[in-house]
Amino acid sequence: MEFDISMPKCWRRETKGHKFCPGCGHGLVLKALGLAIDELQIQDRVVFGCDIGCSLLAYDFFNVDTMQTHHGRTTPVITGIKRARPDRIGIAYMGDGGGYAIGSQHLVNAAARNERITAILVNNTVYGMTGGQMAPTTLPGMKTETSPYGREISQTGYPTQGPEMVAAITREGAYVARGTVGKLSQLKNMIKKALETQIAGTGFSFVEALSTCPTNWSTNAKDTWSFLEDEMTKYFKVGELKVPAKEE
Amino acid sequence: MDLKSNSYTIEGEKAYFTLFPTLCKGCGLCMEKCPVKVIEWSDKLGVYGTPAVQVKEDSKCTGCKICELVCPDCAITITPKRKAK
Ligand code: SF4
Ligand code: SF4
Ligand code: SF4
Repeated sequence: MEFDISMPKCWRRETKGHKFCPGCGHGLVLKALGLAIDELQIQDRVVFGCDIGCSLLAYDFFNVDTMQTHHGRTTPVITGIKRARPDRIGIAYMGDGGGYAIGSQHLVNAAARNERITAILVNNTVYGMTGGQMAPTTLPGMKTETSPYGREISQTGYPTQGPEMVAAITREGAYVARGTVGKLSQLKNMIKKALETQIAGTGFSFVEALSTCPTNWSTNAKDTWSFLEDEMTKYFKVGELKVPAKEE
Repeated sequence: MDLKSNSYTIEGEKAYFTLFPTLCKGCGLCMEKCPVKVIEWSDKLGVYGTPAVQVKEDSKCTGCKICELVCPDCAITITPKRKAK
């Protein structure tokens, strides 16, 4: 009996094993995205953009047209592609550093203009690729390379609530949700709804995915899951924040 | 490299557990999520030279596929057996 590898069809097999660290949640977010693309049968129409930071390691991940940008610019570049080629399905993939700090203006303005693209943002509470510095999403009191005594809220403010912000500035017709790699089927369904929103053309679609970075968290498997599922969810509530009204 | 090289399959009562060492990075995430705790470290090595995983002998693996789903590297394939009779 021959057993095949259970991998989304749109993943590019020649580039696997992928480049992310052991236990990295990027592999899971990209699995949820891959399954969503497969289920919607849109592989030949997708244009995928990744950003600087660990998300760029996805530059050869899928068998779809792909480009890579810096510092949150994946959002405006995908917006441009979508405007030039409205028949394409544009996916802007980024981390919390690119989307909420260095390139936050791009996310804010694309959401405010209700661009017909899908943005997927990976929240793992740190800058991963550069070595685990404090990010906008670092939890209160959390120790990182640049907050060795724990994040001090009185000095650095509270963690960015991305989906809450995007939900507040988008119009009706947009789709906004926060999922987690701890609930992969739910995350896949959120990404699927986001892509369907883009296909229907009703507005901007945004999914934040709570994700893992065992390398910079310095956690074993057990603690990786518990930080994701017990600590992060205290601050970042998982669920849908905005759903387009059903057509009659 | 052929992704399927050195793969091994362990037959359980309810399902076949197949592991692809070319993909397994030894992160252990699957082990923690198995509801019946039947995944253990193997003597076989994964792609980074760390132990890969296997199911225990006479395993109580139910074929639920949770490990397959939570593996960030798609290193596990669970093939449930058809219902007997
Ligand atoms: S540094 Fe963190 S986010 Fe980057 S690949 Fe490694 S585990 Fe993933
Ligand atoms: S299929 Fe389910 S029961 Fe079997 S090893 Fe995987 S997680 Fe455990
Ligand atoms: S099978 Fe997957 S989840 Fe389990 S240790 Fe290997 S890489 Fe990690």
